[in-house]
Amino acid sequence: MFDNNLFDKAFNLFSRVEKQDFEYVYRGYFTHNITKKILVLADTNIQKAVARATIQKRIYYIMVEGLQNITRHQDEINYETEKYPGIFAIQKRKKKYFVTTGNLVLNEKIPSLKEKIAKINSLEKDELKKFHKEVLSTGVMSDKGGAGLGLIEMARKSDNKLISSFELVNEEYSYFYLQTQIPTISEDDEDEEDQDVSMRKYLISIKKLHLSLNIENILLYFNGFFNQENLLSLLAIIKGRMNMSITTIRLSNVMVEMIQNIIKHGQQNDESVDGVPGIFFLAQQDDCFTLTSGNFVKDTAKEVIQKRLEFVNSMTDEDLSEYYDKILLDFELGDAKKTGLGFSDLRIKSGKRLTYNFHKVEDENYFYILQTEVTNKKK
Amino acid sequence: MEPLILKETEDTPEIIFNPEENIFKISKISVPEDAFQFYEPILTWLKNYEKNPNPETIVNFDLEYVNTASSKQLIQIMLLLEKIAEKSKVTIKWYYEAIDEDMQSLGERYNKLVKVNFEFIEI
Repeated sequence: MFDNNLFDKAFNLFSRVEKQDFEYVYRGYFTHNITKKILVLADTNIQKAVARATIQKRIYYIMVEGLQNITRHQDEINYETEKYPGIFAIQKRKKKYFVTTGNLVLNEKIPSLKEKIAKINSLEKDELKKFHKEVLSTGVMSDKGGAGLGLIEMARKSDNKLISSFELVNEEYSYFYLQTQIPTISEDDEDEEDQDVSMRKYLISIKKLHLSLNIENILLYFNGFFNQENLLSLLAIIKGRMNMSITTIRLSNVMVEMIQNIIKHGQQNDESVDGVPGIFFLAQQDDCFTLTSGNFVKDTAKEVIQKRLEFVNSMTDEDLSEYYDKILLDFELGDAKKTGLGFSDLRIKSGKRLTYNFHKVEDENYFYILQTEVTNKKK
Repeated sequence: MEPLILKETEDTPEIIFNPEENIFKISKISVPEDAFQFYEPILTWLKNYEKNPNPETIVNFDLEYVNTASSKQLIQIMLLLEKIAEKSKVTIKWYYEAIDEDMQSLGERYNKLVKVNFEFIEI
């Protein structure tokens, strides 16, 4: 199932994020375990990007509240979340961080949610503090364990207004989007952008992304820097999400190879960040998982990669297996770090020829996209 | 000879090479970025052990995940075991989860390429 659109989509998705920025999205069912892993993944990246510990902590708390918000609503309407999975997104754009949640809520809850948010947004810092105390002591705001408190906390920790939006799904449900923006520098240093427009702009961008992820049924989307730490967090999320099966094992193995491929061979354009820029996403259609990775390569590297891919794809299964043995025993392959087994392994594990594409981006640079499939079926 | 004991990390396996108690084990996960660097001291240790091995050495490979970079280092370990097998008794015990046919076939591949007695254990 070769899909040319997906190549364009991969490049378009990658282009959403500028140098030094990132966005990570998890889409699907949120269990306690997955929530924990998402926090680890997001937190390591924030710690690296944000110098000030107070800001790091604030972002962390906002993420915790956001994730709890999702699971709380999810529990209420458990049976529908399969069809309309929620999303959790963390983004860095220039000097700002954005934590966004999108999840299904009952339409009848919308008026009270809107009211709560409007109330919170109407209050100044000191008033909000007072209000927080008030709600803590009386518990009047929420009809379900602390939902109101969570919103107040997010507003207080971000020192910013909450941005929200509702998108009607059917007569019973809507998607409830909630975004918190956390600036890492004081307002005075910011661009002279129209505050209100710019705030909405980022929520609209996430809603668009959610739509794309829904269409392709993308479960995990990672757009930013790749390093071993991030790989291990992503691996933990995959393991936490699925039942132990040969598909999960294979998926994990294929993901490790693809992401280490980015780390080892991707073009590093900015020495100041710890990792190689790229994109990775995992999509599912019935029993078939599609893994897509994308990263920059120089034209010289492109030639080498393309030749190797063509060669691996040209072999029959038997030839490939023999070739695998040969490479396994070949310790003279120059650079000791280069195993030469990556592509062969990917083809063997996916049981299919590899698909790839190169987009020319600048004079000497290509955006290289690699795609593999893992299915439930026996090889 | 001093035993070689390495605790598992998030991406490297637990290593127990203890000749005195005659326990040899590589377990858990092996997906390091730089497998060459991780396995180098292990290979060095084995080269020393090869000079004066126990009469019988049973090496347990009980791995959950192995990246290709590690798979190439594992075969180096096995080639050293092949050498040791020339002068003493060596067995490789290859553990794999019942559902993990990929781990099973990796073991079978090694079995084919290395002249050491293999035992396959489904868990």
